[in-house]
Amino acid sequence: MVVCGIDVGARNVSAVILNDKAILAYCVITSGEEGGSIAQRAIMEALAKTRLQFNDIQYIVTTGCGRNSVPFANRQSTEVVCQAKGAYYLFPTARTVINLGAESSRVVRLTDEGRAISFVKNDKCAAGSGLFLETMSQLLATPLELMGELSLTSDGCEEVSSICAVFAESEVISHIHRGIPKQHILVGVHKVVISKVMELLGTAGINKDVVLTGGVAKNPAIVRELEQRIGSNIIVPEEPQIVGAIGAALGASEALLSSINSRQ
Amino acid sequence: MLEEFENYRKTRHQETRAWKSQTGGKVLGTICCCIPEEIIHATGMLPVRLLSEHEPTLEADLHLPTNLCPYCKSWFDQLLKGKYDYLDGVVIPNVCNVVKATYGFSKYLLELPYVYFVDVPQRISSEGVEFFTNVLLDFKKSLEDFSGKQISDEALRHSIDVYNENRTLLDKVYTLRKTFPSVLSGSQAQSMVISSMLMPKEAHNRLLSRVLADIEKADKVSDKRVNLFISASILDDTDFLRLIEECGGNVIADDMPMGSRYFFGMVNSEDKPLRALAERYLAKIACPRKMLPADRLAFSFGRMEGANINGAIIHSMRACDPHLYEYPLLRQEMEHRGLPVLFFRGEETATELEQQKTDIEAFIEMLRDSVE
Repeated sequence: MVVCGIDVGARNVSAVILNDKAILAYCVITSGEEGGSIAQRAIMEALAKTRLQFNDIQYIVTTGCGRNSVPFANRQSTEVVCQAKGAYYLFPTARTVINLGAESSRVVRLTDEGRAISFVKNDKCAAGSGLFLETMSQLLATPLELMGELSLTSDGCEEVSSICAVFAESEVISHIHRGIPKQHILVGVHKVVISKVMELLGTAGINKDVVLTGGVAKNPAIVRELEQRIGSNIIVPEEPQIVGAIGAALGASEALLSSINSRQ
Repeated sequence: MLEEFENYRKTRHQETRAWKSQTGGKVLGTICCCIPEEIIHATGMLPVRLLSEHEPTLEADLHLPTNLCPYCKSWFDQLLKGKYDYLDGVVIPNVCNVVKATYGFSKYLLELPYVYFVDVPQRISSEGVEFFTNVLLDFKKSLEDFSGKQISDEALRHSIDVYNENRTLLDKVYTLRKTFPSVLSGSQAQSMVISSMLMPKEAHNRLLSRVLADIEKADKVSDKRVNLFISASILDDTDFLRLIEECGGNVIADDMPMGSRYFFGMVNSEDKPLRALAERYLAKIACPRKMLPADRLAFSFGRMEGANINGAIIHSMRACDPHLYEYPLLRQEMEHRGLPVLFFRGEETATELEQQKTDIEAFIEMLRDSVE
């Protein structure tokens, strides 16, 4: 039973191909094209790592903010449900998923059976999202993927406002003009993101184990700051960006099975 | 016939102007559930609820601060823009601070012949009812002076009966919907309540009776949609409920001021009219501004009784302090009772509907997963 899950996110598109619930292949590509064509490209790139053809895929479920833009999908599923399914598949001890994507951050609580039971999402402020980090990376002329490591070398911290992403931006500019070392500012920037996540966790509550997913999970300073604030270890999947797509693929598997059963 | 309620809301300005030209009567704008409309009705004037619009509040922004109740700002903006040019006056109650402030703004910025402040007491108590009865006596005298018509006890009792009939009919609709969600949608039920705040009550009663007879006969088929309860501050159109329906949800009960809170609780027609009105409008309206949290929660959970509810959506308007203060407690109690909750801090704009849609879809999918 070959199925595919595609997470059409604000920044990246990931595709996961499952065969009888085992991951056969996956790929993550940066989006920028229209949802349908980039989803097609993501599937083809994942398929290239297997001996399968597009027609071998029996069911496709899409998730992410662009989930409705893929015309060849059989079904759509929301990020909350897919993140829960994907995290539980990878780590059956997962009870809380923190998903930090490009445009949104959310906390999903899971039952012992791996079902999403509640969730909270960032409000109107962008300060807890990946795009905030991206803006800061441009301001500080530091590549996104190096921000975390550089921040970890700092022995200080320059506070940045957590009230508003726009105010934070002007504060960072003023810190740069005052000659504050970049790594100190980065510590403050990461604290802003985590303070927003802590607000969500305050509402949602924390049940262990905690799994961190989404592109922002690749930032080691975020992981460290979060662990310090929570006071315990968190689990980061090897590929945190494909957790939603795994969940979508699992949803595809369930839907296909249910449709086969109903025909029998 | 069901769409007549929603159509009336959409064409309310036109309809009210037509009423005015046909009857020669006066129209008073009101806000909140705590103004006894019966007294206005007894003078032959038409009380109409002031509603907001999804549009920039450019006129109101000149006078009011940014971080203010979007509903009050919007209806006030509509008045400043001349959309309510048929109004002869407005009646503002003493509820939250913002509403109270709109009395002053209305008095000095609007060129209306009649602007009246109804001093609704803060506490629900026998002293409060006594005080409110006297407030309503002054209100009655003021309306008599303005309308040029004396209000007899008999006329007031008649108005109470008309309004009680409306409450009974709306309650029947809500009870039917709670038990058999397939008979009408949450947004249709809400449009009945909102139109009741706008339409002449006798006409609303007639229309409601006809529709009720139809829906009582309708097939009561099983409904696979997820059943939701909605707790909200001001939602003065049906957009939000329609959004929930588009996402596969079914709002089958609510505690909204633009929903069941408006018609809950009868006026005792056996008691002295003003005292009976004071009693109902002070003690039976579950507004967080004057009702203690335990009683408010009891009202919300009471509205759920008999309904098979899968989850709750709490929608509080930005800057609506009385509702926002209550939200953590309400959420905690709902979750304690095993009811999953989705919370929105909303605006009076249509721009955020897309983001809300994403969250509602996720909530409904999550609930469906747990139901199946």
